[in-house]
Amino acid sequence: MIEAFKIFINSVSSPATIFTLAVIVFILFVSFPKQATSAIVMIPLLIFAAAFLAIGLTDKHFYHIITTPDNVPIVGLIFIFGYFTWYAMRKAVINDERMAQGKPTIEKEETDEKVLVFPYLIFIEFVIALAYSIMLVVWSIFLKAPLEEPANPTVSPNPSKAPWYFLGLQEMLVYFDPWIAGVLLPTFIIIGLCAIPYIDRDPATSGYYSFKGRKFAIIAYLFGFWILWILLIIMGTFLRGPNWNFFGPFEVWDVHKVVPLVNVNLSEIIFIKWFSVGLPKAWFVREAPGILLVLAYLIIPPAILAKTAFKEIYKKLGAARYAILVMLMLMMLSLPIKMYLRWAFNLKYLVAIPEFFFNI
Amino acid sequence: MPPKPNPTLYSVSKTFMWFAITSFVLLLCLVAMVYLDYNREWKGWQKKFIALKVEKTQKDLAEASGKIDRSQLETLTKQHAEAVKAMEAHHKDAAAAEQTVENANSKAVKAKGIYQNLKQYQDSYRYFFEEYRRENDKRAAEYSVKLEKVIPELAKAKSELETLEAQKEEADKTLAAYSAKEKELQKSIDKLMEDKTRVERRLEAVKPTLAKDILNAPMVDFIHPTLQIQQIVLDNLQDDYHFAKVQKVDRCTTCHLGIDQKGFEDAPQPFRTHPKMELYLSATSPHPVEKFGCTACHAGNGHSVSFTNAAHTPNSEEQAKEWVKKYHWEELEKWDAKMLPMKHVEAACAKCHQNVLEVPKADKLNEGRRLAQTQGCINCHKISGMESHWKVGPDLEHVSSKLDHDWIVKWLQNPQDFRPSTKMPRIFHLSNTSTPQDIERGNAAIESIAAYLAKNSEPVELSKPSVKGDSAQGEKLVKDLGCLACHSVGDVKAGTFGPELSGLGSKVTQEWLYTWLKNPKHYSKNTRMPSLRLSDQEATDISAYLLSLKNEPFASKAAPKAKPEVIDELVLTSLQGTMRLADAKTELAKMSAEDRLQFLGKKSISHQGCYVCHSIKGFEDAKPIGAELTNEGHKDIHQFDFGFVDIEHSRAAFIHQKLKNPRIYDQGKEKDYYDKLRMPQFNLSEDQIDALTTFVLSLTEEKVPMEMQKRLDLKEKETEEGRLLVSKLNCNGCHALDGKTGLLRELNEDKGNAPPVLDGEGAKAQEKWLHSFLKSPAPIRPWLTYRMPTFDLTDDETTTLVHYFANLSHENISYQGTVLPETSPEKVAAGKELVEKLQCMKCHQVNADSAAMGTSFLAPDLILAKHRLKPEWVKKWLTDPQVLQEGTMMPTFFADGQTPIPDVLGGDTNTQIEAIRDYLYQYQSGSDSADSSKTNKK
Repeated sequence: MIEAFKIFINSVSSPATIFTLAVIVFILFVSFPKQATSAIVMIPLLIFAAAFLAIGLTDKHFYHIITTPDNVPIVGLIFIFGYFTWYAMRKAVINDERMAQGKPTIEKEETDEKVLVFPYLIFIEFVIALAYSIMLVVWSIFLKAPLEEPANPTVSPNPSKAPWYFLGLQEMLVYFDPWIAGVLLPTFIIIGLCAIPYIDRDPATSGYYSFKGRKFAIIAYLFGFWILWILLIIMGTFLRGPNWNFFGPFEVWDVHKVVPLVNVNLSEIIFIKWFSVGLPKAWFVREAPGILLVLAYLIIPPAILAKTAFKEIYKKLGAARYAILVMLMLMMLSLPIKMYLRWAFNLKYLVAIPEFFFNI
Repeated sequence: MPPKPNPTLYSVSKTFMWFAITSFVLLLCLVAMVYLDYNREWKGWQKKFIALKVEKTQKDLAEASGKIDRSQLETLTKQHAEAVKAMEAHHKDAAAAEQTVENANSKAVKAKGIYQNLKQYQDSYRYFFEEYRRENDKRAAEYSVKLEKVIPELAKAKSELETLEAQKEEADKTLAAYSAKEKELQKSIDKLMEDKTRVERRLEAVKPTLAKDILNAPMVDFIHPTLQIQQIVLDNLQDDYHFAKVQKVDRCTTCHLGIDQKGFEDAPQPFRTHPKMELYLSATSPHPVEKFGCTACHAGNGHSVSFTNAAHTPNSEEQAKEWVKKYHWEELEKWDAKMLPMKHVEAACAKCHQNVLEVPKADKLNEGRRLAQTQGCINCHKISGMESHWKVGPDLEHVSSKLDHDWIVKWLQNPQDFRPSTKMPRIFHLSNTSTPQDIERGNAAIESIAAYLAKNSEPVELSKPSVKGDSAQGEKLVKDLGCLACHSVGDVKAGTFGPELSGLGSKVTQEWLYTWLKNPKHYSKNTRMPSLRLSDQEATDISAYLLSLKNEPFASKAAPKAKPEVIDELVLTSLQGTMRLADAKTELAKMSAEDRLQFLGKKSISHQGCYVCHSIKGFEDAKPIGAELTNEGHKDIHQFDFGFVDIEHSRAAFIHQKLKNPRIYDQGKEKDYYDKLRMPQFNLSEDQIDALTTFVLSLTEEKVPMEMQKRLDLKEKETEEGRLLVSKLNCNGCHALDGKTGLLRELNEDKGNAPPVLDGEGAKAQEKWLHSFLKSPAPIRPWLTYRMPTFDLTDDETTTLVHYFANLSHENISYQGTVLPETSPEKVAAGKELVEKLQCMKCHQVNADSAAMGTSFLAPDLILAKHRLKPEWVKKWLTDPQVLQEGTMMPTFFADGQTPIPDVLGGDTNTQIEAIRDYLYQYQSGSDSADSSKTNKK
């Protein structure tokens, strides 16, 4: 029974299924926040997660991966982030309901007063710092750093994994050229996070949890955070094995696993597969479809949205801030788009110019 | 203005409570940290060792006390007590004497002070006087006066001091006289108790005390703990951490505390004494611990002081289980430099003992190295620094003169079918090539190889025996001549150096065997088989006997036929390696059936690497096919393909399994015929596999500094070359030599009939004689049926052997012949007389009389002595033959330096021995000896 379950889980596990499932769950979560955060959904979900972990731990391989000292924090991360997301959304839902009924928010009802940071907050923070110290000491006592071999420049560890907080970036390398996944997108992430307070200067809903008040901001942020960052870290930690091959949770990491690498560029699809004419020699002719497609992606949707769905936002932000916002959003969405293109068409690059190492 | 307290936002008292709780828990954490830091695995072992040592010292103490002579002690104590009493009787006089000593002493001390002060002044005055005089300062005069004044004062003080010192010594003597007896007795008692006192002191040093406990207590144990990590820092050895070479630091002795101390041979681990103290650790051994440490040989993580992290490696799975129970051992997955399991520890010797055939005392490694040569491992696998010295298989350049097509086909099917003891490994129809298709392919390859060999074989002229052979006589000759030194025949399991000769009748023809026996080099110029200088009759008899031994089951088997379509398939596959399919097909169509067979034959031989062990025409310059093994002992574990074989992922396990079943790692894999593993199946015993595993593990490119390696000097190099030649020629098949027994000598009950011992040959034989004897041997001991073969050695090889023998005996090499010691006719005459009286010729001459005594009494004819023996050796030999050759039948005439014949040359042993020697070097003609034998009879 358990074996059959493991085999089933392994067989349906793939980046595409897991990613798609996560996106569906995410959409359901933000579409029905009230139901999603209710005990009827959350308790079975928690039980399921705990049961999955418990059953999984009976598997030798799963146990090994989960209990490796490097990976333990990621297990904790799943539950902690899950809890905080649930907590915030739950409060936001309650507040939204209260506001709809004309009642004050929970925060307002608790107190409307202000407190001095020093000494009251600092004191509490100090105690919390002590608690953290305890946690770190206990952690270091029970999870020891393993003794590994001396670093050898001629032997790369397999799998070669980045520190856990960069595993999302490493996962992007599967789909993008290194300069995009390693330089461009991280830069956009940092700039984007810095830019948030300048793009969204609306003081509404500050000081209390609310979903309805900032629906767009919350959905955009949670999507980027949960789906494009945390999920990729989880996959990178637990499901990416030797040679960065994908393994099901109960599948043994076999160094010799071979998977076909049959990715093709857009130019090859168009010129060879569709037109059956061979690749043009000049790169600008060859890559013209890809370049046009990328430009279209960056120009047409913002223009249309400004006139239609984002009309209000465009008015509120003005041209410059609107352009920045939309550009950031498009950059964020380019990751799932590229992922699906890869899964659906084995697409390697939209634009591939090895002449001067420019690939998109 | 501060806001009012608000319990929803904060509560000071609650925060205080949490502050208290967290502080307390943090304190517990601190205690836990200190405890964990304090509670180390090694401290437990050190405490246990102290207990063990205390126990042992107490036992020593009891033993030491037991050894004391009680009655003597009692007498001495009684005497001592009496002496004390006697001393007390004179106690007033003694007190007076003591007073005198004290007075004298104080005066002397005072006088010494005065003298020393004056001496200081004198030195200072002298200095200033000399300085001012040089500078022409007028103060020089002033100091001159001072100096002159102080000199007599100093002289006076000195004489006073000396007088007083003399007085003091006098007084001391008077005082000592009172207690002299008592002191002397006390000294005797102390001497008697010496051992016990020493052990007591040792016990005091190791015993745990409160002070030690305090020094070892947590938090203060950084000051001067008695439990501490022991380490050996090695100046010339380094750990290679890829980026940096780090000085080796071995902390093994932190727990292995008794390793270099005698007396813990039976102690439980980790305290046991090293089992080979004469080789390792001790200061007088070749590998003192301060210079070599532990991990240089054992490997592992020398820095670590925990059982698991030190990378201990178990010998077997049982031991692994035991360790898990006892030491919570776990395999260090990531650490590469694991300890060598004890059964393969000799692999480490090779790091420093390179380029030698044998490492002293490393029997397993030596056996592995020997097998690597004799089984042909190094013919196929390149190992830098270990080139193969000969091809292990017979030449196949003339094979069609020896074997027929069907025999070759049947042999290649499975060589062990014909000869179970063969060194030829099985190549075809193994575990990864045993599907019906692969068997067909194997048969096609075998057929084509046989065809290729036949076509590329140059015929050799064979001669026919001119006489009739007698099989029974042949059987006797095989035993008597010494064939068994290298070969086993029939039921006689003897030499394994050459092929077993049973079943030869189902293999070769009479002509071939006769020609071969007469002169093996005629058929194969590279063969190691020597010529036994057989007569036509002998050769015919032996061949008659050997041909009568048949292997009927093998002979009656039919050779499987190859299918032409399979041959075509394999040819096509091979062609496709360099051509497109269509071209390959055209090419194939162009070939005749014979062409295809030849093409496939060549392809199969090069694919299977037959030529690495056999000389085959057309493959003179072909490279060996095996993987290079130069760094196999250190190859990254991930580079070993364990396939689907469920064994421990360690180098030793991989190599062991590979040798046991070379094709096993193909198990469960889908591979094309020509991609399959090709290492053939050798006929190895479990012990041999173990030895070879040790050998392979010893292969490493790890650099050990030159000064730490064993480097051979010129003589050792020469010896090494000789040793190699001795192993190539199998001298040990007959002779005991160089610490190894001779096989035939061992098989012979009657040592007088056995091939001679060659230890000490260098000291015994003259180089010139030895050289010519090796080039063309002639009988020395005609009664021996064994025949020293003619090896057709080159001059270089002969010289190598002569040097080898000389070096083994620490002799200087001289080809000038021997300078005879000066002598006189009288001495020679006396020598002759002695030889007659001692009846030397009774044994040292070969004739009917001596033969009648039985062969063990026979000895080499003395006529040979002058050219063969070194005079020095003859002297030594006569003095005491047993020293040079234990168990020899030669009597010791001059036992204890006494001559049995006192009336010759004044009965002086040395002169008599010299006289005999001188006579032997004059001893000339046969008539002379005939005379003496007649004399003997009288």
